[in-house]
Amino acid sequence: MSTSDAQAEQDRLNAGPAILETQYLTKIFGGLTAVDGVSFRVPARSIVSIIGPNGAGKTTFFNMLTGLYRPSLGSVIFDGKDVTTKRPDQITALGVARTFQNIRLFGTMSAMENVLVGQHARLRATVAGSIFRTPRVRREEREAREKAREVLTYVGVSDRRHDDAASYLSYGDQRRVEIARALASDPKLLLLDEPTAGMNPQESEQLTGFMRKLRDDLQLAILLIEHDMKVVMGVSEQVTVLDHGEKISEGEPQAVRHDPRVVEAYLGKQG
Amino acid sequence: MSAMTARARAIKPPERIGKIKMSTIFTVIVIAVAILLPFFYESGSGFMNDATVALVYVVMALGLNIVVGFAGLLDLGYVAFFAIGAYTMGWLASSWFSKEDIHVGVSEILNNQPGIHLNWLIVLPVAAIAAASLGALLGFPTLRLRGDYIAIVTLAFGEIIGRIAVNSDDGIFGIGHFNLTNGRAGITPVDKIDIPLVDRFTTLNLRPWYWTALALALVVLFINFRLRDSRIGRAWIAIREDEVAAISMGIPTVRVKLLAYALGAAMGGMAGTFLGSFYNTVNADQFEFSFSIFVLAMIILGGLGSIWGVVLGALVLSFINTNLIPDVLNNVPGKLGLDFDLTELGFGIFGFLLVIMMVLRPQGLIPEKRHQAEFAEVLEGEHDVVVETRA
Amino acid sequence: MESASIPVRPTRRSRGEVAREYVSRFGLIAILLILPVAYGIQDLQDEGNLSRLATNIKDGLSNGAIWALIAVGYTLVYGIIELINFAHGDLFMIGSFVSYALIGTVGLTTATGNFGLLFGLLLILVIAMVGCGTLNVMIERVGYRPLRNAPKLAPLITAVGFSFILQNVGLLWLGGSHHGVPDLIESQNDFFTVLGVPVTHGDILALVVTVPLFIFLVTFIARSRMGRAMRATAQDPQAARLMGINVDTTISFTFLTGGLMAGAAGLIYALYQTDVWFFSGFTAGLIAFTAAVMGGIGNLKGAILGGLIIGCLQQISDNRIGTEWTPVIVFAYLVLILVFRPQGLLGEETREAG
Repeated sequence: MSTSDAQAEQDRLNAGPAILETQYLTKIFGGLTAVDGVSFRVPARSIVSIIGPNGAGKTTFFNMLTGLYRPSLGSVIFDGKDVTTKRPDQITALGVARTFQNIRLFGTMSAMENVLVGQHARLRATVAGSIFRTPRVRREEREAREKAREVLTYVGVSDRRHDDAASYLSYGDQRRVEIARALASDPKLLLLDEPTAGMNPQESEQLTGFMRKLRDDLQLAILLIEHDMKVVMGVSEQVTVLDHGEKISEGEPQAVRHDPRVVEAYLGKQG
Repeated sequence: MSAMTARARAIKPPERIGKIKMSTIFTVIVIAVAILLPFFYESGSGFMNDATVALVYVVMALGLNIVVGFAGLLDLGYVAFFAIGAYTMGWLASSWFSKEDIHVGVSEILNNQPGIHLNWLIVLPVAAIAAASLGALLGFPTLRLRGDYIAIVTLAFGEIIGRIAVNSDDGIFGIGHFNLTNGRAGITPVDKIDIPLVDRFTTLNLRPWYWTALALALVVLFINFRLRDSRIGRAWIAIREDEVAAISMGIPTVRVKLLAYALGAAMGGMAGTFLGSFYNTVNADQFEFSFSIFVLAMIILGGLGSIWGVVLGALVLSFINTNLIPDVLNNVPGKLGLDFDLTELGFGIFGFLLVIMMVLRPQGLIPEKRHQAEFAEVLEGEHDVVVETRA
Repeated sequence: MESASIPVRPTRRSRGEVAREYVSRFGLIAILLILPVAYGIQDLQDEGNLSRLATNIKDGLSNGAIWALIAVGYTLVYGIIELINFAHGDLFMIGSFVSYALIGTVGLTTATGNFGLLFGLLLILVIAMVGCGTLNVMIERVGYRPLRNAPKLAPLITAVGFSFILQNVGLLWLGGSHHGVPDLIESQNDFFTVLGVPVTHGDILALVVTVPLFIFLVTFIARSRMGRAMRATAQDPQAARLMGINVDTTISFTFLTGGLMAGAAGLIYALYQTDVWFFSGFTAGLIAFTAAVMGGIGNLKGAILGGLIIGCLQQISDNRIGTEWTPVIVFAYLVLILVFRPQGLLGEETREAG
């Protein structure tokens, strides 16, 4: 990409609406400031990566975006709404979905049931409706199951595995099911926490292709935490670098890669 | 992977004969046997008595199963809901509040007696609502606690309710001078259940009692099956498995947990109204901690979360309690030439069973198909100590 | 800025968090003070002095010392394996029964001379302690160790099972009614009076036995090798194992320690209250557990402090409101603490906190 193209790309990203925006987001635990005044935006329908050395505060940052942690300072704005103090289930209902660094599937449920749980916020069945199995509830369940199978197939889980207990699936399949479960809630923003952990280069390659597909097919914005630089450079439209809880760099992948502050954060001061 | 875990791997589709599922056939047979059972026994027999009580315990066990088995909330204070149901029956269907004079849907004889006398069919929903409310109220403080603290808090609540029951014969906390519960002496007699168009419920004719208990059990069983395979059932199990992941998937955990507490409590309360009438007394001695453990043991024995397992567990333990220990085992020491009374060992034997059960077969008699996987790994020692990190 | 080492950041706590910590700690202290202060004011109005309240507190401290001994067992075990040892209270009851039986066997009566009494009681103390300690270790071995990787419900149920078994043992041993213990130390006789508050033989007994035990415990946990092992295992069993600590032995030792204390508590209780009853363990257990939580579960000094505080609250309640309501009040405190300040007064020291 030439410099002017890169600049144009940057301008496009900055001009468009942001699906997610944080302002001076901070998290302090007792004596430790894990995230320090990070202001940040994710343009709609883009793929953005957050990188940084271990302990930089990336997962803590994610957890504030999804409502698992309450920010000490600052705000989170999703799709134009202030979600800073909202509960995780409310934020998910608004259109944010996530996967976890250590896969957190419901192990004793089947892949299919995991994805059904992912749809919880989109289903409307009530207790009474479920007890009496009204026609509406029956239809809803049927459609939910069809959708679950579709999503599982879409992410690449073979039919034979749909009813397998999640804890017995292969690692790769488990990762896929986690993504399927996240997609099941029809999110506008997908948060992936180190999705390529434990993957070999071919699998990572497949995943980056898949992310682009998600962005284009489903009009999704994707925010990833990643350590694999090849993936980051290959798929991101924007990269943000955190170190010791602070944002130290942000921009187009190539620019960030050569930013001396970023190099220093990873490698220590040179000479 | 061993054979056991390989079998647990797939959650298989149901087996069928033609278009009808095996499990449906099984259910129909079981229900038919249950309905016809009384015809094989004298209507006033000890067996009918025990069977009726067993069915009521099934209701309670199914209720607690929702809280502990489905949602994974360690409730050790279930006795509180039994108490609320029983006292509701005692207050609303006896001559206790003798200064009042309210009669709804009761027989001629009762119409002439002082006190509040409502038909059981009216008391039932009232007690269910009261118990559900209490359940949500007591469950609320536990929402942010971790597992064993939930156990202790619910135990404490159960004890508090139990002590209030014992002490409230002269005001509460020393305030007031009214007799709410009559302590250990209790409220007695309690009106017999009276369902229109059905035979009179007496102490000699137990068949109507049995069928009513059976009906209640079937309704509760039906509700359990429907809920387990529904959106809310999946939400409960998700919370049990991994609460952080569950809430991140959009499950409103507060509401869902409170619902579990409320529903479980309601079932306990309904069972309480029945027993209040059946035993013809509601007194504080019925509401001790050991009761909560007794019901909990039923669902553990049967298989946490497994509906048929819980039913089996309830029937087995109830039978052991009312039958095996008093009648059968009592004769054993005598026959062996020993000189002690086995009923005195009831407690200890029960404790022993609990220990044996957890050490040897923690997944229960009919494990929930999901739990099979979880416990299989523990028993086969496939894991070293794994310290899980949670967000 | 030098190498890649992480520079030390200035620590800043958000004002909200600092405030919340203070509010909850002082809130807890405040609700603990409600009863004593309220009755203190009432006493001043009614009688013009605080001697009744002071007596309540004095009695409370003596009783509390007993609860503290039991609470230590709960707190150490919970700290190391995050298990509420339901059977612990009943272990204390067994300790009191053992003491009662041995008093009879050794032949101590109110007529026994002081020297014989001292020697006899010391002997009984050792036997009761060792007996309960061994029993606790056995229970752990049989009921909890096999379930260390099982979901938390499993060992909890086993614990309840053992609780019932021990209660039944007590029931079979001495029957269902209370048994009077010979008043060997004349526990109600006044030794001396301090500021209008009578200090009895029983109080001195409680003091003389528990204080050395507590000092020994605290020093042991803080200084000795095994004590370090216990603390390390409580914080992080994986790491402890990697450092060469035998986790299984350490856990067994923790149970032993708890059992020893429970046995001692049993003897003191038998002599102080001159009463033993098979069901006393259940209530004692819940009270002692409340004490452990109040002080901060896993925290040894917290358990001791909690025991003393609970003792006072219990005494005030027994004396002013009525013994039948005391359990309700203690349980209410338990619930309040667990819900609003689960780390107790001095803070938790368990895996999650550490």
